[in-house]
This record gives sequence, structure tokens and C-alpha cells, in this order.
Amino acid sequence: MNKNKIYFLIAIAFVFFIIVLIIFFKSSCYSGKKELELSKEEVQEKVEQIKPVKVKMFFFQKNSRYMRPFSYEIGIFKARQDVYKAFINELLKSREDCINPIPEGLKLRSVFYVKKRKILIVDFNEVLLNKFPVGTSSELEFIYYFVDNICYNFKEIKEVKFLVSGNEYKTISGHINIENPFYPDYRYLRDE
Amino acid sequence: MRNKLIFLILFVLIGDCLFSLSINVRSFDHQNYTRIVFEGDNSFGFKMNNFKNSIKIEINKIANIKNRITKTDDSQLIDRVVHSTKNNKSFLTVYFKSKFNIKRNFVLEKPFRVVFDVIKSEESDRDLDPSENKRVKQESKESNIKDKPPKKKLIEIICIDPGHGGTDLGAVGRSKLMEKGITLKVSRKVKKLIESKLGLRVITTRDKDVEVSLDSRAAMANNQKAQVFVSIHVNSSFRSSARGPETYYVSLKATDQEAFKLAEKENSSLGEAFKTAENDDLKMILWNMAQSEYIKESSKLASFIQNELNILMHTKNRGVKQAPFRVLMRVAMPAVLIEIAFISNFYEEKSLMDDSFLDKVANAIYTGISKFIYFYNNI
Repeated sequence: MNKNKIYFLIAIAFVFFIIVLIIFFKSSCYSGKKELELSKEEVQEKVEQIKPVKVKMFFFQKNSRYMRPFSYEIGIFKARQDVYKAFINELLKSREDCINPIPEGLKLRSVFYVKKRKILIVDFNEVLLNKFPVGTSSELEFIYYFVDNICYNFKEIKEVKFLVSGNEYKTISGHINIENPFYPDYRYLRDE
Repeated sequence: MRNKLIFLILFVLIGDCLFSLSINVRSFDHQNYTRIVFEGDNSFGFKMNNFKNSIKIEINKIANIKNRITKTDDSQLIDRVVHSTKNNKSFLTVYFKSKFNIKRNFVLEKPFRVVFDVIKSEESDRDLDPSENKRVKQESKESNIKDKPPKKKLIEIICIDPGHGGTDLGAVGRSKLMEKGITLKVSRKVKKLIESKLGLRVITTRDKDVEVSLDSRAAMANNQKAQVFVSIHVNSSFRSSARGPETYYVSLKATDQEAFKLAEKENSSLGEAFKTAENDDLKMILWNMAQSEYIKESSKLASFIQNELNILMHTKNRGVKQAPFRVLMRVAMPAVLIEIAFISNFYEEKSLMDDSFLDKVANAIYTGISKFIYFYNNI
């Protein structure tokens, strides 16, 4: 092999190396641009979230053992956790012609969503234990009023667990075990 | 450029960590089988070959196994596990002390595990000398006798549980009528009827106005070896129009959570499952699931009682209901909870004050229980 051929091969290898480098840098520049675009999308997603949340809430009626639906808009939120809080606070409000299966003075302390297990943990104040009207049906009405409404409106939640003042309790008033979370029981709902 | 080089080095290192594989081998002798577990820190593909006295597992990458030969002296069935590598593949060979059969094999995730349950082959018994063979046959005959289900025991003990009591008043009506008093009255009447008419032993979780915890009630029934558990209550609702008797048994949905927890425990490292603390947890979960064994019978008992109450109170049969009652969950026998009537309903509260109405309710409960006993003893 003569010298010229060797120089020619080295030149080709050099050009090939330069092309590879250009492609490498171009692709990294492109990915940088993509990152910027992605962050724009993220902003748009946040903007989309700042819209009133539409929900369908179910309430017990005086002469029926089923809950009837009503449509509501529950406000503007930046985080999912705030949506859950607002929704539960809306359920706690008393309504004319509807039965609220909750003791007077009951307040929501906090909510926490466990994404891995798809469980929403709802923490109420001590009123739940101290002023609850004892009875199996009362307990079931209270439990499924919250569980059905929450799971119906937020499909990411599969189960709801109740706490009182941050602690686990065996029952609310001596009947239903509340140590475990609850799946919804849509037999309480009557969609119209 | 320097950053990119660092990135490339990191990529190679992370890749190496991600795709390396180390496998831990362990075995455990259960009563009827031996379990062998190959636990990898990453998932791995494998092929299995069965031989006369060994299983050979071919793993599609080089695995790091602490010991080349793992001796298992305490195992009844496994002799040793040998690790070798060839052509970028790992081979794990499990040698058995005698011929074997694979009862089942399965894969578990998090951490990735390949599990084999192996039993001693019957063929290997034939290889034994005649006197040994005779002894083994005799032993297996004895164990067969032991394994046969015991003859069904007829119902002889019934536990009646009057709801609430002491400082726990239960539901209270507008006229200050208390649930705890009604449940005690009805329970006494039911006890009397069963003892006098059926001649069976009846235990009650309370016979006076005292507070008894829900878990103690279940424990009392279990300790006394009762075969039927009937908890008597009076209902109350936020809806004053709610009326009618209801009979409940434990819902399986509620025990799903316990089943999930149990599955999680079973899915945890096998070695850890034998630690005392873990075992206690497991016991608690199983205890919470005690009722799940009797769901079918409990449902039958509930429907017998509900039918009688429907006839008495002229209510349409809304069917028996299911809910996760704390008092029923830990009871290891057919168990139901009866809600006689709604104290929150004006008309039903009035009925609950009437002693002759309570007599009729007790009679309906007694008839439901006796129909169940007849059904149970004759299936």
C-alpha cells in the first residue's frame, strides 16, 4: 500500500469521525429543544387544570334509601389534593331536601392520596366518634355516602380509608370495621 | 464534552449494575413437600430440564451465586445445589437424595423468584428394601387415616351476642328507649327457647348490663367452641322513614383487604416469613379472616332468620345483606348479625317497647336458627 492510499484512508476516517460528531451534537441540540417544548406542554397542562372541576354528587333523599345525583362545579384548583379536599367539604355541607348522613360539627382535617395503592385516606375530627348517632344503617350510610361519591367522581381512587384525628379506629359506633379501606358499593346510588 | 464523557462512563456503570444478576438459592421442608426458591435481584429468563435425580435450570445470562456448591444437609429431599457457567449462561443443578416429582412451580415478582415445590416420588419407595417398604406403607396408611376429614360434628353449642351494654348504650330512640336493653331482653328469650325446645347449650356474651368489647365477644364464642354465632342488634338510620328487619353476614369485599395483606405477606421473602414478628402479623391477619371460611353457611343462616323475620313483620324480602362487621369478622363459625327493627322509626320504636312484639321476634329468630341447624346437620 502506498503512502497516498494511507493518507486517503486516514482522510476518509477523519471525515467519517467528523460526520459522527456532527450527528451526535445535532441530536443533543434537538433533544434540548424537545425539553423546552415539553416544559411548554407542562405549563399548558397546568393551565388546563385551572378550570372549575365538574362533579356529579349523590345525596340521600328523605323518602328513598338511594342517593340521587346532582351536578356541581367545585372551583378552581392547582393540585389534585385540593380538588379532593374541596369535594369532601362540599359533601359535608347541609342541603335542603337532602339528608346528610353526617354528625353535626364534623370537619375534614386532611386528605392523602396513596397513588401506589389507589387509596384516598380521609381524616375527620373527633366529632365522628363522639356525636355519631349509633346504628348499623347510620354507619353504612355515612361510609358509602363518602366512598361512593369519591370513587364515582375520581376514577383514580379505588378505595377510601377513614381516620379520626389522624388515628385508626376499629369502628365508628360499634358495628362496621373501619380499620380497612372501603371499596364503593354503588347499590346505594340511583343515577337519573 | 467532558460532561458527555462522564455521562457515557456513568451509562456503562449503571448498565452494568442494571443487567448484572445475582441469585440466592434457599430451600425449606414443609410437611408434605420441599420448597426450593431461586431469588434474583433482577428478573431472568430460564429453561428447566428434569432428570432422574436432579433438576437443571439454564439461566440466559451469567449469574453471580455466592457458593458454587450449596449443601443442604437439613433438607429431607435436597442433597446439594451446584452452580456452573458455560457460553455466557449459568446452570443451577439441584440434586435430590431420591427420586422426586415436581408438585408445582411458579414465578413471583418483587423480588423476582422462581419457586419449585417438590415431593418425594412414590417410585423411590419401591426401590427401598422390603422391610423398609412395609414400614413406609404402614406410615403412609396411618397418615392417610389422619388426613381424612373428621366426621362432621353436629351443632351442640350456640352463642347469642346481645349487642352493646354498660356505658355503650347503642342506638337511642326519641323516647330514650335504649338498644342495649332490647338486645339483652331478646337474647334471653332466644336462649330460653333454644335450651327448652332444642335442648342445646347456649352461651351468651353478656347476661347483664355490662360493656364487652367486640373482639372479646368473638373470642368468647371461639374459646367456648360455639358452632353458631348470632349477634342481636337494633337498627338506626339518618333516614327516619327507614324500617324493617335486616340480617347481615360478613362481606367478602371487606376481607379482600385482609386477603391482599396476606398475599403481600406471602409474597414477602420466604425467610422473613418465619420471623416471630412477621408470624404474629400473619396470625392477626388470619384471625381477621376467620369468618371467610364460613361465608356460605353464614349466608344460609342469615337467609333462614331473615325469612322468619319477614313473615313476622310483613316486610318485603330485601334479601340478606353483607357488611364488614367487626364482631363477625373474627368469629370462626357460621355467624350473623340481626337488626330487629329501626329505633329511629317512630312506629318501630313503639313496637320495640312492646314485650309481646319482642316475644314474636325471639320466636322468629329461634325458628330461623333451628331451621339452619336442621339444614346443617343433614348436609
